[in-house]
Formats: sequence, C-alpha cells, structure tokens
Amino acid sequence: MAAPAEIIEGFLCPMCMTDFGTVTQLQHHFEDAHTSEDKAVFQQLKGFFDKAKKKIMGDKETNPFIEQGSSSAGESGQYGAALSGYDPAWWEPQELGASRSHLDLFKAIRGARVDHFVVETNKLLIRLDKLLSPDAPTDPKRRKAFEMSVVRWIPDREVPACLTCMKSFGLMTRRHHCRLCGGIICDKCSQFLSLSFAQKLVNPAFQFEGVGFLKRTNSNTSINSLVSVEGEQHMRVCKICRQLLERRDNMTEMRNTKPPIVQLYEKLKMCIQEAENVLPQYLPMVESLSQGESRYTYREAMILRTKLVKLYEAIDQLSKRIVQFGLNQDPPPNPKQIYLQKAIRIYASNFMQENLMGLQNMPTEEEVNQMQEKRKTEIQRKIAAERQAAMEAQERERVQREKELGAPLGASDSYPRMDHMASKALGHRRQESGGSVGRGWKPEGDSGQATRIADPMLQQIEIIRGYIRQAKQARKLDEVAMLEQNLRDLQLEYVRQSQSHNASS
Amino acid sequence: MNVILAVKQYVSKMIEGCGGGMKVLLMDKETTSIVSMVYAQSEILQKEVYLFERIDSPGRETMKHLNCIAFLRPTKENVELLAQELRIPKYGLYFIYFSNVISKQDVKILAEADDQEVVREVQEFYGDYIAVNPHLFSLNIVGCCQNLTWIPAHLSRTVQGLTSVLLSLKKCPMIRYQNSSEMARKLAESVRQVINKEAALFEFRKTDVAPVLLILDRRDDAVTPLLNQWTYQAMVHELLGINNNRINLANVPGITKDLQEVVLSAEHDEFYANNMYMNFGEIGSNIKELMEEFQKKSKSQAKVESIADMKAFVENYPQFKKMSGAVAKHVTVVGELSRLVGAHHLLEISETEQEIACQGDHSQLLQKIRSLLSSDKVRPVDMLRLVMLYALRYESHSNNDLSGLVEALRRRGVADEFRAMVQAILDYGGRKSRGSDLFGNQDPVAITKRLLKGLKGVENVYTQHKPLLQGVLDQLIKGKLKEATYPYLGTSQLKDRPQDVIVFIIGGCTYEEALAVHQLNRSTPGVRIVLGGTHVHNSKTFLQEVSQAVRGTLSVPHSR
Repeated sequence: MAAPAEIIEGFLCPMCMTDFGTVTQLQHHFEDAHTSEDKAVFQQLKGFFDKAKKKIMGDKETNPFIEQGSSSAGESGQYGAALSGYDPAWWEPQELGASRSHLDLFKAIRGARVDHFVVETNKLLIRLDKLLSPDAPTDPKRRKAFEMSVVRWIPDREVPACLTCMKSFGLMTRRHHCRLCGGIICDKCSQFLSLSFAQKLVNPAFQFEGVGFLKRTNSNTSINSLVSVEGEQHMRVCKICRQLLERRDNMTEMRNTKPPIVQLYEKLKMCIQEAENVLPQYLPMVESLSQGESRYTYREAMILRTKLVKLYEAIDQLSKRIVQFGLNQDPPPNPKQIYLQKAIRIYASNFMQENLMGLQNMPTEEEVNQMQEKRKTEIQRKIAAERQAAMEAQERERVQREKELGAPLGASDSYPRMDHMASKALGHRRQESGGSVGRGWKPEGDSGQATRIADPMLQQIEIIRGYIRQAKQARKLDEVAMLEQNLRDLQLEYVRQSQSHNASS
Repeated sequence: MNVILAVKQYVSKMIEGCGGGMKVLLMDKETTSIVSMVYAQSEILQKEVYLFERIDSPGRETMKHLNCIAFLRPTKENVELLAQELRIPKYGLYFIYFSNVISKQDVKILAEADDQEVVREVQEFYGDYIAVNPHLFSLNIVGCCQNLTWIPAHLSRTVQGLTSVLLSLKKCPMIRYQNSSEMARKLAESVRQVINKEAALFEFRKTDVAPVLLILDRRDDAVTPLLNQWTYQAMVHELLGINNNRINLANVPGITKDLQEVVLSAEHDEFYANNMYMNFGEIGSNIKELMEEFQKKSKSQAKVESIADMKAFVENYPQFKKMSGAVAKHVTVVGELSRLVGAHHLLEISETEQEIACQGDHSQLLQKIRSLLSSDKVRPVDMLRLVMLYALRYESHSNNDLSGLVEALRRRGVADEFRAMVQAILDYGGRKSRGSDLFGNQDPVAITKRLLKGLKGVENVYTQHKPLLQGVLDQLIKGKLKEATYPYLGTSQLKDRPQDVIVFIIGGCTYEEALAVHQLNRSTPGVRIVLGGTHVHNSKTFLQEVSQAVRGTLSVPHSR
C-alpha cells in the first residue's frame, strides 16, 4: 500500500497503480479493468474505496494548507465559492421578527392629558375671537363691561393673593384680571398679548411678524389696557393662558411652515423620484437601439435622455445648493446642520453615480441607423443563405435519387417538384418568422446535423427543430409557438407525401 | 434563523414606518453597535437617514425639520432621557422603538411627557443583541460571572438578549442546559420565566419540530479560546481583535492614516465574505490572484511574489487604492497577520498547542514546551497559554511537571499576576468543573477514534483541534445527546431530531466554534443552528473573563 500522504494526493488504482483524477474515475476504471480479478478481493477493495471516498470528501474542509499553500490554491478556487460566506438560499425566507406596539396605551395616557389642554385652548380662542370682533366697543368703560361679558371676572374679594405668585394684594400690589380666563393676577405676573398676534392665533392666514407677548413695566392701571406706550394694541392675560396659546401657536407653525432647506430638499426628492421613474423606460431603449433593433425610435430615446440629463443637472444643482445653504449667513448654521447638508449631498451624488452609468453609452443616430441597416441586411443574407442551402440540398438529393432510381423518371419527376414547392412555401413562411425574430433574437443557421439526413422534408423538419431549441434557449416563447406550428404543418405534409409516395410506388 | 437579517429587517421597518423626509436616528451606546453591525452608513443614507445621534450626548441641536427614529434599550436612564427630550422636543416627530420589553409604567412616564404630541409610534422591536454573522450573535459582555456565579446585572442582560433573539427569530423553544453548570441552569430558568410571563408574545405558529435552545457553559471547554487560529476571521480576531466588525490597525508599523481603523463586514465586503472561513494559506493565494488580475489590467510587469512585494505594489499604485480599497485593506491586514506569525513563531507554537489539545505524548510535549519557553521570540502571553493548555490537559497526569513550567515562566519574567492565571484556568475549567469528556480520554469510543486518528496521520497539524461544541451539536442533531448531561428544562421532550437550534455559551463563544457551526449548517440540510455567547472571545478577552470569574475582585471594563 502507498503511504497515507499519497492516498490523499492521488487516486491510485491498487492493481495497476495508475493515477486517476477523481474517485469516480478510479472506481469506473477499477470496475471496468479489474472485474475479472478475484471477486472477494474486488468487494473488499470496493468497500475500501467507499471509505476512502467518504474520508477524502469529508476531509476537504480541513484541507492541509500552510505547507501546501500553493498546491491547494487551485483546489481552493474550486470549492472556494461553496465555502463563501452565507448563502441565504440555504434557509427559508425570513419574516419580520416579533414586535409589540404600545401606541394605544401611550395615546390613551397622553390623550387624557392633552384633551384638557385642547378644551381649554379652544375656550380661550373663542373668547379671543369675541374680544377681537370689529363690533367690540373701544370706549374704555363700555369695553370693560364687554370684556366682563365674554368671561366671568372673578370678584376681587374672593382672591386675597395673586393666583400665580401668591403675593397678597394691597395698596402696592393691585389686582388685575386676565381677559381670557377672568382669573386675578398681580401686575408682575401679567402678560400682554399683542392684538396682531391674537389675530394670527384666531385666523392662521393673518400675516404676523414681531413679538407675540410684551412685558409692560410702566403702568399699573388697567384702564388703558388696550394701548401700550409704543402704540401697539395689546391685552392682559395670565401666564397659564399664555402658555396654552403659545403651545397652540407652535403646533400650527410646525404644520404650516417649511424652512427653506426643507423646500429645497423636497424639490431634490421630486427630481430623484422622477428620474427613478424615467430610468426603467430609458434603459431598455438604449439597449435595444444599440443592438440595432427598431422597436424604439431614436427620437424617443433622445427625448428621455434629455429629460434625464436635465433631472440630473437639477439634482446636482439642488444638492449643491443644499450643501452651501446658510454657510454665508451670520451666525453660520450649527455643525450638525452642516453635517446634515453634507449627508444629503452624499446621498444625491451616490444616486447619480449609481444611475448615471447607463446614460453615457447612447449611440449616435447615425450609428443606430447603420446598425439597423446592418442588421437588416444580415438577416436577409441569412435567410437567403438558408434558402439557398435548402435548395442546393434538394437539388443534390434529387440528382442522387434520380441516379439511384434511375428508371421510372416520369413517376419520380412529379414528386420532387412537389417537394420543391412545399419547401418553397416553407421557405416563405420562415421568412415571415425570420422577420419577427429579427428583433433581438435570431436562430443561427445550424446545418451540421441537418445535412446528414437525406430527405429534404426531414431536413426541413430537423432545421425547424433546431430553431425551436434555440428559441427556447433564448426564451422567445411566442416564436417557439410559431415554429412549432410550422413543424406540425411540415410533419403532416411529410406524412401525407410519404403516403402518396408509397401509394404511387 | 438569520440574526443579521432579523435585526436588519427591524431597522428597515423602523425607517419605513417613519415615512419620507429627512430623518435622524437617535440611539444609545448599545443600540448604536447593534445597528452598525447590520447597516453600513452609506446604505442607511439611501433611506434618507442623514443624522445619527446618541440620546446621552448633551447639547444636541434643535432641528424641527427632521423626523426622529429613536431606537433605544428600555433602561431607566433611557426612559428618563427620552421623557426630557419629549418635553422640549428637538425634532419634528418621534417614532420610538425599544429593543426589548418595556414596562407600562415607563410608557406612562413617556406619554405624560409628550404634551406637544410629537410621538407617532411606540413599539418593541426585539433587536437587543449584536448580530455578528448570520448564524452568530454576541452580547458584548466580558466577565459575566464573579466568584463562579452570575453577576446579577449581567444575568438580566443575558436573559434580555437571549429572549430578544428568540423573539426576533420567532422561536419559542424547548430549553436544554448543561447539567454540570449552575449558571446554565440559572439562565435556562430565567429565560423560561420570561417566556411564561410574556406568553402572549411567544405565541408563534407551531412548527412540526419544536426549536431547541441549548445553554452551555464555557467552563466545559476552556481549551478552544486558548488556541491560535488559522482561519481568516478567527485569526484576525486572535491577533488583531475585532470589535463590532472594526479592527484597530493603529499599532501596525508604517500604517497609513486611512487604514488605522478598518471595517471587516461580511455583509458589505465581498472578499471578506468569501474568505472569512478560509485558512491563512488560501487567503494569501486569493489575494495574490486578485493582485495579479489587477496587474494584468495595469499592464505592469512587476512580479508579486511575497506579501512584502504586494505591499510595495499597492503603495506604488495610488489609483489602486481608489479602485479597490477593500483589497488594499485586506493586503494590509493579511500582511500584518503574516508579520505577527513570523515574528512570534506562531506556527511552531500553534503546532504544539494543537498537539496538547488533541493527542501527543506527554514527555515529548513537555520537551517542546520547555524549548519554546526558552526561546526569545516567543511572547510571554503565548508562553502563558502553552502552560495553561498543559495544565488543563495533564491536570491529573502522574508525571505532571506544572510547577516546573510555572517556575520557567517566572524565570522568563512573566509577572505574578499572569502566572496566577495558570491556577485560575484550572479553577475555571479544570477537571472538577467539567461535565463532559473534553479530551476524550474516558469514553472508549473517543479513545478509539483518537487512536485511529493517530494511526492515520493528521492532514493538517494546525487545525486538528475540533471544539467540544462540534461534538455536542453533532449528537444533538442526531438525537443522541445524553439527557443526563444535557437535561430538558420542564417535562416536555423532543421526540424527533431537532431542526432549529439556538446554542448559547455562557462565558463567550469563539470564531472557531462559529466556523464549526457554519460547517454543520452547510453539511446538514434541514438543520439550522445559530450560535451565541456573552461575548466572542479571543485569548486576550478570555483571560479577562477567567480572571474575573475566579478571583471576582478584578474589575474588568466591559462595553455596556
């Protein structure tokens, strides 16, 4: 027996010591060449082979390496692919893992709290609307009565101290009423809601710029609560009402305004989406055109291409503007904002890099025309060549048959002619199919097999079969169907002919 | 049964659920690692996630035009921070996902903080573990036990991690554990408790064969993490250290700036995916092939013979770096590996290690170890490992000369602290603490196998060792795993051969075991095995684990 190392390295036949490439080859060789040897020995050796086979196969994963680095390199390529990372095909597709939502609970708890705010805020807004109505009196005395009619003012005597700061009222600390909730507060705790801001709160369409709430310092009378020193109209409210109103304002503000960066970003996204829509239409066009097919016109492709180029330009411009956005402002945007803008630019340029490739290799119109022309002539040439070949074969066949049959010329004369006509008709039919095949796929003339068959009819059948095979490979199913129809016709014709031939002879 | 995919699907779902527009991903320290293992930044950028923020980073800017996806562990601190955030929201809308079960009380705290109604989603998505490979996960805990019992905080984190793996894979398993390990039993019971408590969550479509969760203890096989490795992934981890797919190359002599830290992710690096389980020799030739291919393209006639030539070659072609940064990265990594192997006699050491672990004659091995201990080029840590392996292997051998070897270590200037590790490893993984036949010298079948192996000769001396786990899993798959050593928790038992197996090693697993599981998955159709551990160890982190486990006094920094 050879040393163990040799067993691993070669597949030696124990009888004649020839080296075989694989276990199976060796086994075949042994069974073929040495079966005449003693049966028992054979069985024993066969068992050994199986064991050795298992061992060799099983041990492949722990292939010796370092010392044999170079010798195992070739082999490693062979099963390297199989050893590669993880193949998801091993395991069934995976659904999303378990999850549990707490949103309902969350909303219920939040709702209980927030509803309270919403009700209160709505009350305030209704009152505010009344106070702002154009019919509201401006005369201070009547104004006060009007204000008191909108919300019940808490009587002074019920409140000994400010409701927010708890400072007791007296000569120095006077009582004031919040115009929105009727609560009593001291002057220090008073907030002043400017009327234009109030307008905005009631009517979101109202244009407003400036400060919503003022802090007035120089007055402690409530008589002139409508006019501040600066001349801006305002009204006295308490802190709580202010907070509620501001909360509402923030939320509507969030809903209705978009910072310029977001507007830019949305434009960018629109362009990207548009490009993503156009690309799948454009790419097959280029491919088809550059193969010389005529399914799409050159103009169509050019229009789409221009559209894409424009979109890419827009994406490039927009993302550049985003990256530059606010950089020259004073103060400059915060670092995170800059980082964000950069990230958007990277996103956009990644998109362009990935998708721009298909754009560059668009053939020129002339090239397209040339290719289409070339393709046409090519197809025609091939069809002609096939017909020629078929006819020549027929001719040869007839000559041969005439030679062989020799005598009954008159009888055989009509039969090949019929043959000839049938094949002509077939040739015509195939030309049709060739025309439709002409877009993208075309069977290659394969006559090697066909020429060996003598009968021209059989020859035709064989050729058609070859086409069907090719068509199947090229996955042109409609053409397969058509060719199969042709084949059936041919076969019928053949049967009919051979019957008539038999009858005639 | 693909943990990477499981986490990735969660993250994708979060991003989808947030709708269009610019997004920020708000995470904590751990979820940052969890997400970074499954998604490359460029990939997540394509989904309009432009910013990544840590919830605990102070002074984040207010950016109302971003929508926020918050993916957080449900810890007290995170709930507190998030409640603060919601009171004064920095971003437009909030979509909140917790990586594990969150209490109703915590939901209430958050709901009460959301006066501005910015929260649109509150969900539990159970991606509460680090997915390393499709079949491998880790919890990044080094030193899970102290005084040979669980540290309570680590136990609860492990239970959370393990249950989240089950939930993300939609498996409600039968549990088996290693009988010899108290920690394994404790963990098994804790997992069972969670499954019972959250029974509604664990109601999945019943499969024909119930999945199996097998809980093992590292102490049963302390040998595997001590060995030098020769497959790419394991070798990189052993010699350079992989931390959340990142490799620090800053200490490599003459390294360029952009290669000081590289990322090796099988999900995003094709060469790595194809070569991570290849052994060192093959990788060298694969890299050479790639380089030659490029050389052909660049029509250069320079011959690339050695790894040093390759490095020179790469440096001479700056455009090559652009074209295939991945190859430049791998050439650097493999170059460094081969430098280390050469500089520290690792081949020789590894051969001896393998012989200690697998077979070998005592006196002959003792000679070899002694001669290695006297070599100048061998690193102290490698000497220590050799002696530790010897201690484990010949613990009860009549001619045991452990004291002589420890003395030799002392003479070579190995510090007391490290020499103490020899005793520590015996306390941790010695004969008394083992429940199974690690060296195969009790079971007659194993002995015969070993003898036969010795007769046949070894194909590759550097990879003879097969981890204990491989044998255990092999028996499990065949339905032959002994009930006495690996009992079921509870009364129900599996009648058929298992199909879906999740195996978890307390005290950490290794990439050698990951490779073994990978091969089992490949070679046994119909069986799917996922391996997990409190950590993925190399010898360095394993020594930390051991010293923490035995002494219980050493404080080991871990990544929580």
